[in-house]
Amino acid sequence: MLLDALRREAPTDLVPETRVADANPAPAPRPTETAGRGIAVTARDLRKSFDGHAVIEGLDLYLPAGGFTAVVGRSGCGKSTLLRLILGLETPTGGRIVLEGPETGPRRSDAPKRIMFQEPRLLPWARVVDNVTVGLSGQGSRAERRDKALAALAEVGLSDKAGQWPATLSGGQRQRVALARALVGRPGLLALDEPLGALDALTRIGMQDLIERIWLAQGFTALLVTHDVSEAVALADRILVVEAGRIALDLRVDVPRPRRRGDPDLARLEGRILDHLLGTPQDD
Amino acid sequence: MMRSTPLGRLRDTAVPWLLPVAILLGWQAAVSAGLVSNRFMPAPLDVVRAGWDAGRTGELWTNLWVSTLRALSGFAVGGGIGFALGLANGLSRLSERLTDTSVQMVRNVPHLSLIPLVILWFGIGEEAKLFLVALGVFFPIYANTLHGIRSVDPALVEMGRVYGMSRTELFTKVVLPGALPSIFVGLRYALGIMWLTLIVAETISASSGLGYMAMQAREFMLVDVVVLAILIYAALGKLADALTRQLERACLAWNPAYRSA
Repeated sequence: MLLDALRREAPTDLVPETRVADANPAPAPRPTETAGRGIAVTARDLRKSFDGHAVIEGLDLYLPAGGFTAVVGRSGCGKSTLLRLILGLETPTGGRIVLEGPETGPRRSDAPKRIMFQEPRLLPWARVVDNVTVGLSGQGSRAERRDKALAALAEVGLSDKAGQWPATLSGGQRQRVALARALVGRPGLLALDEPLGALDALTRIGMQDLIERIWLAQGFTALLVTHDVSEAVALADRILVVEAGRIALDLRVDVPRPRRRGDPDLARLEGRILDHLLGTPQDD
Repeated sequence: MMRSTPLGRLRDTAVPWLLPVAILLGWQAAVSAGLVSNRFMPAPLDVVRAGWDAGRTGELWTNLWVSTLRALSGFAVGGGIGFALGLANGLSRLSERLTDTSVQMVRNVPHLSLIPLVILWFGIGEEAKLFLVALGVFFPIYANTLHGIRSVDPALVEMGRVYGMSRTELFTKVVLPGALPSIFVGLRYALGIMWLTLIVAETISASSGLGYMAMQAREFMLVDVVVLAILIYAALGKLADALTRQLERACLAWNPAYRSA
């Protein structure tokens, strides 16, 4: 399988992988022309402490290029810190992180890392299209940036809002603008830090489908941090459960896409992760 | 309150002016009827006549021009320095540690109390007025620029960094626009202080300008010219405020609080 093949390059001292939901062994169909644009992430013995309080304690991790990994855990387990470390927003106290781009080379700008925050973090004084061009900082001419930004807005279905102020948009629309801003630079790694947490249930499902569709089309590596287990099983092909700064559970989600909401395999997996998080004894 | 009929809109525009017009009419009536001696309070029509006369001889325009020039040059110097230092201290810890304590100490001295010293230093020439206006304008611009930069959302600054903005881009696209609402508060406050300082300085020590015109008129008991000068101050203050409001509306159109209805 594709993921297994990629996994073989991983460091050997990883947390043993647990396989579930094997009923449908076919991996997600991936368009070939975009494959290989993702960034692979390797973390070795990663440590991070704040004021002597350890948040991440000796974590090993390998994210294959182009995969969709979700990190779940209770609040305060260090999952957001892990994401910020991978993005370079925090400096690790110990260990190291290696990011490998598709055509490994020094031209880092070819496949940038991007993040979507829980809040949209749009510039309120810039029109929607200008907010999207922020994702192209330092690239190309003004006209080029604008054209690309308009294309990215079309991708998230907000072409008609290009000239508006962010203040006039709804919460879901703002988060779609933030998604367009993250995608316009053609990232190799997209980190999603609970980006849908503040949205209502229906808007959230719409956003999940949008993110999945764009991920399938563009082939970047996606890393989703969330406390919503059903969101994780709906989107990811691998789920990491983080507890006390370590990876406690590493699960594969081999359910083919497009995934149907309420799929029994997904429900079983979700139940299993919740049992683990809530500390209920397991009988399987 | 929005009314759609033309009559309703006219009424909405007229309402704020009802009170001033009523006061003017009552005032004119009181003086004409001899209830108030026009040696203490001239009738509005006398003030209009005084304005007409002063305007015809050109004396009014000369004084108005001289005062405006002083106000604007003092504002440019003091506001420029205040803005620059506010930016520097907002962006650099070192600069703030070096200068902020001193600035806060000087700020607590009422700048008009320096008038005797300033007259000793500069006499009653242009430098004295420029110095006082610049000093008065400096503090509100400085304090509000600093506060504006401090209160820029750190989440947006982090976003700018992650998205690879250069330092210049971070400043022009995130920090400065974020500080702008606060800078405008400082600007409006400074404009008020600008006129106040200038008029006081001109009243005490000058040989031209609106304040000087008012003082001369007092010497010759020309009450109507004194009142005329006061009304011109009011109009100038209103004008400065209206211009700032327009500027705010243009620069802060993104903010629903400043959008024109």
